[in-house]
Amino acid sequence: MAVETRRRSAVGQSVTKVDGPSLVAGKPVFTLDLDLPGALVGKILPSPHAHAEIVRIDTLEAEAVPGVRAILHFGNVPRVPYTTAGQGWPEPSPYDTVLFDHKVRFVGDRVAAVAAETEEAAREALGKIRVEYNVLPAVLSPEEALADGAPTIHDEPDSEGIYDPKHNIAAAVDIPVGDVARGLAEAPVRAEATGEIPYSQHAAIEPHCVLAYFDEAGRLVLRTSTQVPFHVRRIVARVVGLDPARIRVVKPRIGGGFGSKQEILLEPVAALLALRTGRPVRMSYTRQEVFVASRTRHPMRVAVRLGAGNDGVLQAVDMEVLSNTGAYGTHALTVLSNVGSKTLPLYNKARHLRFHGKAVYTNLPVAGAYRGYGATQGYFALEVAMDALAEKLGLDPVELRRRNHIRVGETSPIFEKIGEGREGTAQIIRSCALADCLRIGAERIGWKEKRGRRRENGPWVHGVGMACAMQGSGITGVDMAAATLVMQDDGSFRLLVGATDLGTGSDTILAQIAAEELGVAVDRVLVYSSDTDFTPFDTGAYASSTTYVSGNAVFRAAQDVRGQILEVAGAALGEPPEVLELAGGAVESRRSGRRLTLAEVGHRAMYVTDQKQIAATASFACPESPPPFAAFFCEAAVDRETGVVRVERFVVAADCGTAIHPQGAEGQLEGAVLQGIGHALYEEMLFAPSGRCVNASFFDYKIPSSLDVPQIEAILVPSEEPTGPWGAKSISEIGINGPLPAISNAIYDAVGVRMVRAPFTPERVAAALRMGGGG
Amino acid sequence: MDGGRIHRFHVARDVEEALSLLSAYGGKGALLAGGVDLLRGPLARVEGLIDITRMGLSSVAEARGGVTVGATSTLTQILESPAARRYVRGILVEVMRAVAVPPLRNMATLGGALVSAHPWADLPTALVALGAEARWRGEKEGKAPVEDLYRGEFRKTFRTAVLIEVSLPPWDGAFAYEKVGRTRYDIALVNACCGLGIEDGTIRWARVAVGARPDRGERLPEIEAALVGREPGEKLWTEIQELVEARVEVGDDRRAGRAWRRKTAGVLVRRALIRAARGAAA
Repeated sequence: MAVETRRRSAVGQSVTKVDGPSLVAGKPVFTLDLDLPGALVGKILPSPHAHAEIVRIDTLEAEAVPGVRAILHFGNVPRVPYTTAGQGWPEPSPYDTVLFDHKVRFVGDRVAAVAAETEEAAREALGKIRVEYNVLPAVLSPEEALADGAPTIHDEPDSEGIYDPKHNIAAAVDIPVGDVARGLAEAPVRAEATGEIPYSQHAAIEPHCVLAYFDEAGRLVLRTSTQVPFHVRRIVARVVGLDPARIRVVKPRIGGGFGSKQEILLEPVAALLALRTGRPVRMSYTRQEVFVASRTRHPMRVAVRLGAGNDGVLQAVDMEVLSNTGAYGTHALTVLSNVGSKTLPLYNKARHLRFHGKAVYTNLPVAGAYRGYGATQGYFALEVAMDALAEKLGLDPVELRRRNHIRVGETSPIFEKIGEGREGTAQIIRSCALADCLRIGAERIGWKEKRGRRRENGPWVHGVGMACAMQGSGITGVDMAAATLVMQDDGSFRLLVGATDLGTGSDTILAQIAAEELGVAVDRVLVYSSDTDFTPFDTGAYASSTTYVSGNAVFRAAQDVRGQILEVAGAALGEPPEVLELAGGAVESRRSGRRLTLAEVGHRAMYVTDQKQIAATASFACPESPPPFAAFFCEAAVDRETGVVRVERFVVAADCGTAIHPQGAEGQLEGAVLQGIGHALYEEMLFAPSGRCVNASFFDYKIPSSLDVPQIEAILVPSEEPTGPWGAKSISEIGINGPLPAISNAIYDAVGVRMVRAPFTPERVAAALRMGGGG
Repeated sequence: MDGGRIHRFHVARDVEEALSLLSAYGGKGALLAGGVDLLRGPLARVEGLIDITRMGLSSVAEARGGVTVGATSTLTQILESPAARRYVRGILVEVMRAVAVPPLRNMATLGGALVSAHPWADLPTALVALGAEARWRGEKEGKAPVEDLYRGEFRKTFRTAVLIEVSLPPWDGAFAYEKVGRTRYDIALVNACCGLGIEDGTIRWARVAVGARPDRGERLPEIEAALVGREPGEKLWTEIQELVEARVEVGDDRRAGRAWRRKTAGVLVRRALIRAARGAAA
């Protein structure tokens, strides 16, 4: 679609978020804000063992607890292998999970569930379920998982889609382009880096929660905190054994997800408990359960080897990944694939590439989707290796990026070779302002003045580092969104979208996209989102897809409705639609100057002549995934004596095409950067030798607080993406890819040690400094 | 928090009432001041809560040249009080600012911090360094330096007693507090509180305490002795830093390892001493 050049009135404005006032006023908008009379409380019994068979389970004593209404365990629920990943069809994650199994695979795995009248009764009952375990040897690291004779975690006969269950390999990829061994051998300059990222948390403010009940027609309603309502419906139907037509999934306001709610976790349990009891069932994870039993980022070791010419232009890139998917393989293959597919195209000059790796099972918590989705892990190693390469070349790191990054009109073989768990789609870059991002970001941080000139202030040594990143905008060949736009008789609009606003502001920007096309103020477009009974389909809020994919669907629906409005108005005014303009809430004839307000158009269509509903439903399937680009610059200070690292200043210059809502886009960048700073400096789940997580709370798992936030400057560098709605691309994930390498590179600039194992704790930095540093 | 068994909430009017309620519950009652640790802790056995914040024990006052802080004074109250600001060049303000975040400081009380005495906490280290003395009422009235309390069975004492106040003696010199946490609102991975009195260019007295080792804050008398009679300066600080590294008792926990704690304890003591010397000389 052609990019409009006329002045925009709704797009590009930081309008009030459509849900802002109700959120600020504390209205009951969240999942569990709805009280249903007679609702039971559902709770889950977690496994105390990392790996064990359940020999016997005795619920007699638990059933006798007053108020207990149902108990679920492997002996009384259907056994349906599935994946908890809320992904498109065909599902790329292995079917290695059943609702309740006779084997447990990590400390915190589901053993049984109870529904009771009160939380106390439910808890008491959990304590009285007698489980006899046959404890098995556990696998607590990816290296152990791959070792000869390692215990097999998934030995069940009915799993599907596991790459090599016997050897604990959930997924594997090996994608060669050219001859990387030769390319590296022949390259005059080589550099490498291996980055390690531990288990980490999404730390959404609202835990996973659901309210399940049967409505007056006997249909199951799931009001749930999810990023993927339509996948919830499909998967719950299959796992619980209900006709999908009998299930309605409603997504109210969500208190954050960051990928952790692209998972079907509590919904089928609550659905079964409601089905068994005939009563509404509320379930919510405690924070400790969120830590252990929801999802985490995939811990990974990524090794990057670069070969370049003396001019700095890359000739060969080898990227090898060892990913720990935990006890189940949800998103195992797709996160693994994204480590390469979202990083390697950024530097598209190398002729020889190889991307290879494995995602392996361990008896540890389950990794899943997390903002950045593998790209974060990949960029850590890649961008530290680029920094090392720049040093070897004696080239400014910014200049090295400038010589290698992809540009408009160019492509990368990786686009076609690696997709979402299968082959990808060839695509050409149609918009890229990365060169501007590099220039603007470098100027803002004072790169030329600061780089390589460590500044000392007592024990504190200051340095600057940088990194680049791209992401995508939706998944090609997978993501599809639809929107229904309806004109009311008063001339206002209803916009029904399957898109799922999880706190990102997507309801607002979708209203803006429609309002722009319809020539009305944003508050004339009422958005209703994510209700599988009432809104059209959408694959969900993940993969940075909503602005681009759902936004394009809305844009198309709005174009259609605009045409219908002009037709009705043309008939009323006796003029051809071509001479009519739609702006300021009215249709006006360029020829005669005669006007018809939208209220008059609505009134006429619904009550007066040729009565009909002005409405349209449009879909958008993602044909390509235009990447947003960003350049990150960081000034860090290192306390040489204690190893404490402080991020003093962080600049991110990002190209998301047109920013539909600039303040929202900046907020996404700032939030993602802060989350990335958390990865770099603080966040790590720790495990006892038993496999139990020992810091499953914010007391001992630290995320940055408002006091820890450095000066973060988010700069939106515009481009026009010709395939995007009003020129827009995505913005939600890319910001998290930069902090790990940029901070690591800044530490190197300051004190000469390469921090490649996250987080860069005082202890690790001090140890590296004592080892002598120098890289 | 699992407070499922709590069925009574009492507001004690005075210490006698708090004590008689505590004794009536026979181990199933809990005193509630700020509630910070009560919220964190297992409340499985607690049936009655006894609010002690309205017994008139929330004052911060200058006394005998030092300062006396009522047990239920919140950290914010202390931080904002003129008496604390004037006490030994504002060391209490410096310490309180290092504890957690304002919302927690609005809840947490000095008495709670003293009695909970978490090994990783900031306040025990400072109280020990400053020579704080605690006064309590149980069956009898009791009084002891906080340092001595921590060496004894203080948890047992406070199961049947109410802490009344904490007195901090005057010091002719200056103190400084240093801490390394993971984030700004974090507990300490290691902390140090040091004080010096300097007369005619010579150190007359020294107080050095290191905490979160990961064990609770304790004084290092050997280090203090090594400081007294010496001339403050770079040479001394380096010597002391090395001595602390050699002598401080540190251990591993999941937050940090012993080698790093040992080194960092030396660094923090050095930094605190340098600042204290600057203050004492001023």
